[in-house]
Amino acid sequence: MMLCVIMTYFSVGRGRITARIYLLQYGVHADPDSRIRMNFRLRDSTVDDCKDIARMLMELAEYEKVTDLVKIGQKDLEQDGFSNTPFFRGVIAEVPEDQKSKDGHVKVGYALYFFSYSSWKGRCVYLEDLYVMPEFRGKGIGKALMSKVAQLGLEVGCTQMNFIVLNWNKSSLEFYTRQGCIDITEKLGYHWMSCGENALKKLANSDPVDES
Amino acid sequence: MEFKLRKAEARDVADILRLVKELAKYENMEHQVELTERELLEDGFGETPCYHCVIAEVNDVQVVGFAMYYLTYDPWVGKQLYLEEFYVMAEYRGLGIGSEVLRYLSDLAMKLRCTGIMFVVAENNEPSMQFYKRRGAEDLSEGEGWRLFRFDKDSLVKMAAPSEE
Repeated sequence: MMLCVIMTYFSVGRGRITARIYLLQYGVHADPDSRIRMNFRLRDSTVDDCKDIARMLMELAEYEKVTDLVKIGQKDLEQDGFSNTPFFRGVIAEVPEDQKSKDGHVKVGYALYFFSYSSWKGRCVYLEDLYVMPEFRGKGIGKALMSKVAQLGLEVGCTQMNFIVLNWNKSSLEFYTRQGCIDITEKLGYHWMSCGENALKKLANSDPVDES
Repeated sequence: MEFKLRKAEARDVADILRLVKELAKYENMEHQVELTERELLEDGFGETPCYHCVIAEVNDVQVVGFAMYYLTYDPWVGKQLYLEEFYVMAEYRGLGIGSEVLRYLSDLAMKLRCTGIMFVVAENNEPSMQFYKRRGAEDLSEGEGWRLFRFDKDSLVKMAAPSEE
């Protein structure tokens, strides 16, 4: 009965019945502190979500204190995620209009992911970004997003989900450990490495090694 | 000794798996390799490849090294080339194969408009660490505090299960 009520709400609110109902996942979570029930739904992202993804991406960069490192914006996301060869995929968390954020947003969280590959295990999914706006945290949205990406990965045969976390982000580290994650950097000593743009240019232009 | 680099073909999967296992053995992790030739074939040479490989060959027949890579995405800076595996057989090291593979991948990354190459290195693998650092690689775990986390299959299945209301 509850599910029917929610679906009717969304149908009326949008003025039409979405054709992708099979992709929608409705969650109703009770907030034990405030006794306010938080309705949200998850769905695959579309090109129209790139404006909000770009907005929330900047919020995440601010949280991690590295906004000067963000070099791309909405148009790049549109091109890179929604052309014939998408380089990433997304899941959006949306709330009903009457629960929108104080700034008027209904898209309140997202996860960006892509499929990767392990030379030992095969297909994997990589969770690149996961973000929920601060005023919507503690309602199960973050976990639901992560769960959704895990489901999508398992559906295509992935046996691992990988991601990176900053070592000072204690609440995140604890959350992921509680979910059963392994800290690969601590356990196996794997360091996350990067050859950035300058190193890349030097490497690409480097002379072949003299073999004589 | 002359060597050449080329894109991997379906016929190379046996050699790719052999080299994957050799590298895993070098890291004392041979028992962790579960991938099969059939999976490598389906995943690398089907309609939508999950990975790509460049092969190093000597005498036109002997596969002595390889690199496995795929494209990933950083929504702050764009496309990246992720170097999943990179190995040259011990007896063929010192010939410049490693450097040439890295040059090949860097050139490819730039052509594909990637802004970086990402990879992991075990902290106790000093030769590899030095190889990459000499070429401008940054250790983001040491320098910025990034840690790689993983859900393995069992915990992934649990995470994917709907939570109870």
